[in-house]
Amino acid sequence: MPEIFTTVYDVFMRTYPGFLEATVVTLQLTAIGVILGTVIGLVFALMKISGSKILRAIANIYITIIRGTPLIVQIMFLYFGIVELYTMSNFWAGAIALGVHNGAYIAEIFRGSIQGIDPGQREASMSLGMDRRQTMSRIVFPQALRRSIPPLGNQFIITLKDSSLVYIIGVAEIFSLGNREAAQSYQPFESFLVVALYYLVLVMIFTFLLRLYENKLDVDRA
Amino acid sequence: MIIGENIHKSFGDLEVLKGVDLHVRPQEVVVLVGVSGSGKSTLLRCFNFLEMINEGKITIDGHTVNPKKDNLTKIRAEVGMVFQHFNLFPHKTVLENVIEAPITVKKMKKEEAKKLGAELLKKVGLEDKADVYPSKLSGGQKQRVAIARSLAMQPKVMLFDEPTSALDPELVGEVLQVMKQLAEEGMTMVVVTHEMKFAKEVADRIIMIDEGRIIESADPKNFFENPQNERTKQFIQLVE
Repeated sequence: MPEIFTTVYDVFMRTYPGFLEATVVTLQLTAIGVILGTVIGLVFALMKISGSKILRAIANIYITIIRGTPLIVQIMFLYFGIVELYTMSNFWAGAIALGVHNGAYIAEIFRGSIQGIDPGQREASMSLGMDRRQTMSRIVFPQALRRSIPPLGNQFIITLKDSSLVYIIGVAEIFSLGNREAAQSYQPFESFLVVALYYLVLVMIFTFLLRLYENKLDVDRA
Repeated sequence: MIIGENIHKSFGDLEVLKGVDLHVRPQEVVVLVGVSGSGKSTLLRCFNFLEMINEGKITIDGHTVNPKKDNLTKIRAEVGMVFQHFNLFPHKTVLENVIEAPITVKKMKKEEAKKLGAELLKKVGLEDKADVYPSKLSGGQKQRVAIARSLAMQPKVMLFDEPTSALDPELVGEVLQVMKQLAEEGMTMVVVTHEMKFAKEVADRIIMIDEGRIIESADPKNFFENPQNERTKQFIQLVE
């Protein structure tokens, strides 16, 4: 048993400079994926609750397709699709794929939070003479956003792990480096254990930060 | 101030208001009573266009409202509404609740709005709560903030939809006190309430609504001592 610790330790020490670089790439992919997904999600959430049948239909089609197909297929599809039209690095193709994928899930998070706000809030706002847009932007959305933070944090963690799938188009993030390391060193077990540790530590750090932030919100408004 | 003529309102197959005529004069305090489900709250919500009437017309301050053409947002701004469940904005402080609409709707300068807000909070006795969030307030305090918030738009008429029904009994008085003060200052008010003592003391007129129709309309003395309709007699016996 101690032997495995030594070999894992050796692999870790040998590979960490590369993995640190790969971690930066993973975090960049995740950040872009979540930010882009949040923007897309917000637009589609608003479309889904809008009065327009056409906008609602478009939003439903998008969400159905994205949720109904595997992310890895979407990555391939977008990568080869985009490269056909426009020269783009595989990093950006992967980041955009993650954003488009997240957009569908985040749209549902926002929609649920917006629709979960007590109708009395909307009525009070309207009764004060605020129009639909003011009511949404000043009263309903700020409350919905607050409710969205825990599920958005969860989505961030999912994205962090899902970003490993862009290894398929050759982006040098954590998983792809681990994969290469495993093949080159003939130590797949140790290599993937190290990979798992990187993800685990990142997720734990993020979970901790998220909890701090949620507590701060509670303290502010309790 | 508010004239409702032949107001009909249905929710699906259920006709809640079956031709209501009501004329509220300037500075008048009208109390609407009736058993639950009689349509009194719906009538109030129609006056603020939170519900759209199916038939009839509503005239506010001399202007007959055409819901299809008129800017309802502007009309709502002139008609204050206080809700049973307060509906304060939980993400804003007490003062922010009060100054939100003057700033966003009337484009009032923040400094000016804050001054107005402070005055109104003083009026409802909550000047020391300006910077706390609504979750820290008691129900009575919340409702007083809601009244101040509504007054901040300087409405021509105030509608109260069971403003004390969600309050613990010991907190009812402080809210009624503020309403009484408003009435004394000459505010036009339409109040749906079960507080018969308030109705007796403050109302100019009490109106009994039953099954979507007005069945009794009289000053408090006549309403309680000399009711004409059999259902009103039963209702008075029930509440007294």
